[in-house]
Amino acid sequence: MTHTLHRQGTRESLSRDYPLVAVMAHGINDKGGGPKLGKFLEICWRHGPVNLGDMKQGSVFTYNAEKIYKNVSDTTIVECVFDDLNKVEAVLRDLKKEDLGVPVVVSGLTDKVRECCQKAGLEIHTVAQSLGVWGDTSRLPSKDILEITTMCGHAMVSSSLIEMMIEDIKKGTITPEKAAEKLAKPCECGIFNPTRAAELLAKAAAK
Amino acid sequence: MRITEDCIACDVCIPYCPVKAISMGDDIAQINDDECVECGVCFRSGVCPTDAFQETPLEWPRIIRKVLSDPLVESPDTRVPGRGTEEVKTNEVSGRIKLGWAGIAIELGRPGVGTRFTDVQKVTMAMAAMGGVFEHENPVTFWITDQKTGKLREDILNEKSLSAIVEVAFPIDKLKAAIQKLQEVSKQLDTVCSVVTAVKVSPDGSFSTDKIFKELGLTPYPNSKNNVGLGRPLFKFEEVS
Repeated sequence: MTHTLHRQGTRESLSRDYPLVAVMAHGINDKGGGPKLGKFLEICWRHGPVNLGDMKQGSVFTYNAEKIYKNVSDTTIVECVFDDLNKVEAVLRDLKKEDLGVPVVVSGLTDKVRECCQKAGLEIHTVAQSLGVWGDTSRLPSKDILEITTMCGHAMVSSSLIEMMIEDIKKGTITPEKAAEKLAKPCECGIFNPTRAAELLAKAAAK
Repeated sequence: MRITEDCIACDVCIPYCPVKAISMGDDIAQINDDECVECGVCFRSGVCPTDAFQETPLEWPRIIRKVLSDPLVESPDTRVPGRGTEEVKTNEVSGRIKLGWAGIAIELGRPGVGTRFTDVQKVTMAMAAMGGVFEHENPVTFWITDQKTGKLREDILNEKSLSAIVEVAFPIDKLKAAIQKLQEVSKQLDTVCSVVTAVKVSPDGSFSTDKIFKELGLTPYPNSKNNVGLGRPLFKFEEVS
């Protein structure tokens, strides 16, 4: 309930972070679902996401978007991220019109996602809410690092690499935007938001 | 994963490892096998100038590290990549979380710490003691030997993964006690866990968990994950309510 959930940050920062995920239901509607998932990605790509990917192929930071959405398999999970809610609304309108029958989840600020769905003529069917991180939280990195690393729900973006990028930005050897691109690469499924990461990296480096 | 003699000890790979399992040895970089979760980040990153990372064939029980740590790998049990579960993503079609029920997903080791299965077992046993129903289409459930006690296979207990999701459902009137039990057991963990609840949204748009969170003094994150009901064919929820 999960890999696009648990993203940490302020409301203001999270207002530019909306991951979308699509997957067919195993044993119910997955047979022949690959092209439908590909169509989902094609629609998303048309509206200008900041990242896009397929869990079995990789993200646009490694491969060409067209190649990804033309080679989607039935049993994969596909993703993209938008930094603008208006674009999400446009995607949802197109998806409703296309009626692909593909299950889709939208993550982001609960009230904003609900409003966006209503504008697109959709209603939220099932909600998953994060109650945060429990257990031995002394093992966690700092808040600044967590706000970036939690944008890859599979933890492919290491806290050490983020720390190194912040130091390099401080030294002036890399820009926050280039550093964010470097961090986006290990996140194979394409839900890491490089636009938001660049903002957070610049903020952390300025401290 | 192993590092071959081609390593030139340049150390550029070290910060890429999510669990800090790579360090510099006397001559070349080395991987701590016990800490490595086989996620493949070092191998796929392409940062090694001499391609010294080499994936090694994995046997049971070490293979579970890869299944639960490398998102590109499909679970052989559920045929789902990622961490091996569809959870709420397909609920409008699968009917996985029914009306009047709540799902809890406890993702041990997340964010970025990793978990041993000794910790996973603490949670499965606690949830079993509360009468939770384990989601059968989840890889961790396949490794539970007794659903009444929540005990896991002995041979996996010392294995480690980047995370492992325990997915369990309760009737909504049992959710409060289940969360309290989880709060209690989380204090005994040597790792962290990210906790989620999931419910089907009521016809009036409300969430049946709101009152329970309030009673427990819990505030969910402002961001949530929302199934927007576009999947087909729709599951007929009213038939099982």
